[in-house]
Amino acid sequence: MTGRRGGRAWTRTALVATPLILFAVVGVLAPVIAPADPTVGDLTAGLLPPSPEHPLGTDQLGRDQLSRMLYGARISLTVTAAVLAIALTAGTAIGALAGYLGGWVDRFVSRVIDVVVSLPGMLVALAVIGVRGPGVENLVLALSLWSWAPYARIARARVAGMRSSPHLDALRLLGAGRGRIIGKHLLPPALAPCLVYASTDVGMIVLSVATLSFLGLGVAPPHAEWGQMLIEGRPFLDSAWWLAYPPGVAITAVVFAANLLGERLAAGEERPSILRLVRPRWSLPARAPRPAHAAATTKEPVAPTPPEAARDSSEHDAVLRVRDLSVSYPDGGGRRRVVAGMSYEVRRGRILALVGESGSGKTTAALAPFGLLDPNAAVTGSAVLGTGAGARQLVDLSPGERRRINGHRVGVVFQDSASVLNPLRTIGAHVDEAVRNTGRGGHRAVTRRVTEELLRLAGLPDPAKVAREFPHQLSGGMRQRAQIAIALAGEPELLVADEPTSALDVTVQAQLLVLLARLRDELGMAMVVVSHDLAVVSRLADSVAVVYGGRIVESGPLATVITDPDHPYTRGLLDAVPRPGAAPGTRFRTMPGRAGAGPDETEGCGFASRCPLVATACVSEPPALEAPVPGAPPRVDAHRSACLRHPSRPAEAGERSTGPC
Amino acid sequence: MRSRGRLVTAGGYLLRWAVDVFGVLLAMSLGVFALVLLARGDAAAMLAATRAGRPATPEQIEAVRVELGLDDPAAVRYLRWLADVCTGDFGLSLRTNTPVGPEVADRLGVTLGLVAGSTVVALVIGVSVGVAGAVLRRGLLRGTLRLAALLITSVPAFWLSYLLVLVLALRLRVVPTSGMAGFSTWVMPMAVLGLPVAGVLSRVVAVTLREALDRPYVRAAQARGSGPLSIVLRDGLPNAAGPILSVAGFGIGSLLVGAVVVEQIFGWPGIGAYFVHAAGARDVPALQAGTLVMGGGFILANRCADVLQGLIDPRSRRDRIPPGKSPSGRGRPLRERVGGFTARSRRGTT
Repeated sequence: MTGRRGGRAWTRTALVATPLILFAVVGVLAPVIAPADPTVGDLTAGLLPPSPEHPLGTDQLGRDQLSRMLYGARISLTVTAAVLAIALTAGTAIGALAGYLGGWVDRFVSRVIDVVVSLPGMLVALAVIGVRGPGVENLVLALSLWSWAPYARIARARVAGMRSSPHLDALRLLGAGRGRIIGKHLLPPALAPCLVYASTDVGMIVLSVATLSFLGLGVAPPHAEWGQMLIEGRPFLDSAWWLAYPPGVAITAVVFAANLLGERLAAGEERPSILRLVRPRWSLPARAPRPAHAAATTKEPVAPTPPEAARDSSEHDAVLRVRDLSVSYPDGGGRRRVVAGMSYEVRRGRILALVGESGSGKTTAALAPFGLLDPNAAVTGSAVLGTGAGARQLVDLSPGERRRINGHRVGVVFQDSASVLNPLRTIGAHVDEAVRNTGRGGHRAVTRRVTEELLRLAGLPDPAKVAREFPHQLSGGMRQRAQIAIALAGEPELLVADEPTSALDVTVQAQLLVLLARLRDELGMAMVVVSHDLAVVSRLADSVAVVYGGRIVESGPLATVITDPDHPYTRGLLDAVPRPGAAPGTRFRTMPGRAGAGPDETEGCGFASRCPLVATACVSEPPALEAPVPGAPPRVDAHRSACLRHPSRPAEAGERSTGPC
Repeated sequence: MRSRGRLVTAGGYLLRWAVDVFGVLLAMSLGVFALVLLARGDAAAMLAATRAGRPATPEQIEAVRVELGLDDPAAVRYLRWLADVCTGDFGLSLRTNTPVGPEVADRLGVTLGLVAGSTVVALVIGVSVGVAGAVLRRGLLRGTLRLAALLITSVPAFWLSYLLVLVLALRLRVVPTSGMAGFSTWVMPMAVLGLPVAGVLSRVVAVTLREALDRPYVRAAQARGSGPLSIVLRDGLPNAAGPILSVAGFGIGSLLVGAVVVEQIFGWPGIGAYFVHAAGARDVPALQAGTLVMGGGFILANRCADVLQGLIDPRSRRDRIPPGKSPSGRGRPLRERVGGFTARSRRGTT
């Protein structure tokens, strides 16, 4: 597959290079294929339009235009080839030598390269030809004088990077001579990027030669390069199109091909497919998620609708009610789900924790309702924010409507505080923007007062100073607090925190947990906290949803799930937490196997392959999320578990001993 | 406290930058002086002939030779020349026997006006097309913009001028073919000079802005309810500014050089046209003056872009990029991303 794609890309690259190849062939073969002598004209046959005898017509002196074009290519090709050969050889040699020798030679050469590269090449060429006069040799000299520098720079960088590699040390120990090391081991890798650069350089040299000839500084008449043909035919261009277009089109085609080829080679477009697919495409504004039919194309039947989805528990004040949420990404021809039919809800003043291993889909599930995923993601299902008159369906919102939700009614704290703050803006600028977005800002000073208040609320000492600092000047914990301040700007009903304490040291972690708990208690905020860390969760959350392979496998009040877990996965997770009370020397258990695949990659229970209790029925269909105790009320916030065997059921208590505990 | 701390850093940065620019200009002056050594033919003979109006006698040539101090050692001549140049004295034109300095000064205004106009064209079109290319999701339109940008940079300026003259001036008759009087005469020169730079710039803006918009802080800005315009202006463009400024600097610098062709075609009495005449007549002092002025402008435009970048991004100042390394350091990864596309502006070809 890759081979075929690669092959197609190479075919296209060859296609792109066609004008260049044609240019070279025509230049070489001009004397053979030209129908007439380009310097001999017939004054009685001047300015004839194209005819079978003169396919491109004749110029004002009656010379065959086609032959002049072909010979023009020859001149251009001669100069280009010579310049390229000199620049490539000299540049690579100088650069490689400087890079290899290092020390003052390297510093001096680098400095010279720097100066030459920063000179305007065309100007140098003009000046040199100005003092030396026109002609092929002077053209080559004028262009080579500065064309070598980029090659030298590229080669130097490459060789200097390799000079101190262990590979070369080994060669030296083996007794390889300098010449051998440079020639066999340093030059070839340095030459490759130089050749890529040369592919563009061809176009630039052709263009330079044409421009110089056009200014009358090319080769002496009666020979003519393409640029010169245009200036010589200038008085007749309006009436004789065959004089005006062919040279211009020829130059443009060669330069365009060289540019395109250079861009392809440099961007590595001959092996693009993987990059293009993996690379997320971002767009402004984030598009509304794809319609629901996308989910229908996935191979697995939609999970059985839980009975509670029908009768919503609107009697209690759920700030966020998520039902049957699925998220899928394009994959090859179809789509692949990463979150399948999740339902969860969080009430005012409560914290719901989504717990799971990395890659389980917990972050995706938490961010999906707010349109904060990659634009390729298709979100289906329902997510309602608020109750009564303020209730809004979040799935399928337009970008404009989202802007009235995000930052206003919902605040988000992201995981990696180092990259979610714009490095070029101060902390204060970020918070100011958030304040202005919610319409609470006013005059600059007023906004800044609100900002400082928010920073103080987030527990940052000396908010005025922090506001003036840049993200890179703050510690990870302070940046996380700054994010919290930003999220609080709109006094949101709901705070979504994605791994708020990961990558922080334990004391900072504890402080942040206290802060979040305080915000919940004092502001009555609802929170969805995503974490892989059960210790964090157990100190913060009111209820827990355990996520595995894109599905919720167990959920319920914190105390129940922690003390009386039902799902074997939850039990395994809890067993993997080191306990301070355990006797010294006790080994804490780890779960066998690795984190599972996505929800659509297994027929039955996603955990079956790692489960100690696995039964035949487990692999045929995914178990429904249901109360472990029969007869318990089927509510979203009650304790539920997606396991066929329900090991915590009292009736099957005997089986518990065989469990992983 | 913070503002002072920043000012000191920025000040030190500026100082280092100034030293660096001075070094490059000095190195360039050495190269420009060396043009004399490359010259074919005897400058004294040429000037003497110009003065006499016919081939000069050996005595006349010797007199000019003594007058110009041509028999002194090269180092002495260089220093004397450099001192003269610093006071605006570029010597006598071998072609007209008049001082070069005032002539160049007279023509500078025309060229700078042309460059300023073209800069506006290049920046406005380049940045807006580039932003469109970064933001658009429709692959077809994006691809079209990309190819159009590549094409416009591949067309030689002189041929583009002809096409414009043929269509706008001769067929549609909306603008005059040449001269400089009134806005209508500015349209074609500005377009010919500005559009290729706009093409290069749009590619760089599209690629780097796209990258910036893929960064997590953009998602965070969406999460706090910021609109697309605010995101592009506050988060996208400033973070893409490094490569954009580099290329814009190259582009604006190359406009100076491109003016050589455009002034020649449209009959504008600027430095470019003067330079071409000088090149045709091997008028070394005039060539030296033109190279120094245009090359100096080119280098200044480039290095100003670098210093701006340092002022925008506090981190790049802190990282202490060695002088002279900054354009290369940032230029290289960019070149790898947009291909050989920036080569054109580097070379100043139009």
